[in-house]
Amino acid sequence: MADAPMPSMFAIITTDKNTVLYGGMAPVFYAPNDIERDRVAMWLCRITNAIVHDLHNGTVILTVSK
Amino acid sequence: MSGSTGPINWDPMIVGFIAGFVSRVLALRSGRSHQPGYPSSYVIQIAIGVIAAMIGSSVIVSLIGKQFTAATFLTLAATQFFNVRNNERQTLEQEENLILVGRGAGFIEGIAITYEARNFLCMLVALATSLVTQWNLLFGMIGGVIFLIIGEFFMSGPKVGDLIDVEPADVRFEKGTLLYVGPVMMMEVGLADSRQRFLEEGLGVILKAKNFRGESVLWNIAQRQAISHQAASTVGVQKDVGYPEQTPLCRMAMPQGTGQAGLAIIPVERDMDNLIKAIKNTPVLESGKWSKMRNTKNRKDVSHG
Repeated sequence: MADAPMPSMFAIITTDKNTVLYGGMAPVFYAPNDIERDRVAMWLCRITNAIVHDLHNGTVILTVSK
Repeated sequence: MSGSTGPINWDPMIVGFIAGFVSRVLALRSGRSHQPGYPSSYVIQIAIGVIAAMIGSSVIVSLIGKQFTAATFLTLAATQFFNVRNNERQTLEQEENLILVGRGAGFIEGIAITYEARNFLCMLVALATSLVTQWNLLFGMIGGVIFLIIGEFFMSGPKVGDLIDVEPADVRFEKGTLLYVGPVMMMEVGLADSRQRFLEEGLGVILKAKNFRGESVLWNIAQRQAISHQAASTVGVQKDVGYPEQTPLCRMAMPQGTGQAGLAIIPVERDMDNLIKAIKNTPVLESGKWSKMRNTKNRKDVSHG
């Protein structure tokens, strides 16, 4: 546990494909609705020890703190 | 060795050793730092304390017996105690990955320095007591007690509770996902499941500086990590690997910069009094002792920018 975490983006899950152009360093998962998006986010976060952040435009990102 | 004249007066060594050893044993109350915790740690620390007390108490006796070689060797042995800090730091750093809410580098350094200083204090108390005892046995005993009290007073640093007020506050979410404790924005929680857990089981406190010193202590991130660790180790934290967003956080009221900090935790033992007591008992770290600062935002008489 570092005093100042250094997060790096791990995955992107979106219901709106227009908000994400390319995945770049992180894979993009598409979900048809918010419930499915939250379910995928929850699974990924528990598996990978990541933190979920909501961008409030239909997209959530997962970050991993180094 | 030749050179010793007459029978040796053992009193300074015995009284000095006892005073030094008691000074080390008094410091073994684990309390605040949860270190030492196990009998094995106690054995190590008591063994080192015995050696330190012996070194401190035998210097005077060997000098009076004109055993200068022995006295020189004793000072050489004393320098070995510088390694104690490194050993302690290594142990705690190894542990850091194994506990869910880390102590933070600042806290570890503080514990290690205190540990090292305790051994030298033990040596000094033994030395000073044996010096007085050499002059008079009764005064030596009284002096030993006085040195013990001075040592204890000298080694007990300030606690967070001396500088900072801790008050209960509500835990809520604004704009859907932003976790707030009172007026302090803590973090962004994206998972609905975690938000619900914070709302149902979370406890929140607000930390307000009592004075200028408290202000500088709060702005120190190592100090706030130590506060989170103490809070988590006292009331527990419902968190496991895979739940990083449920880590207790201690964050400043940031865009406002009013010098208040908030702490949100999902405790195992839901007891606000215990939580506040734990935070107030956290030692003020050495790295947190910046020069005092006056937050001009909270003052009516000074304009801020």
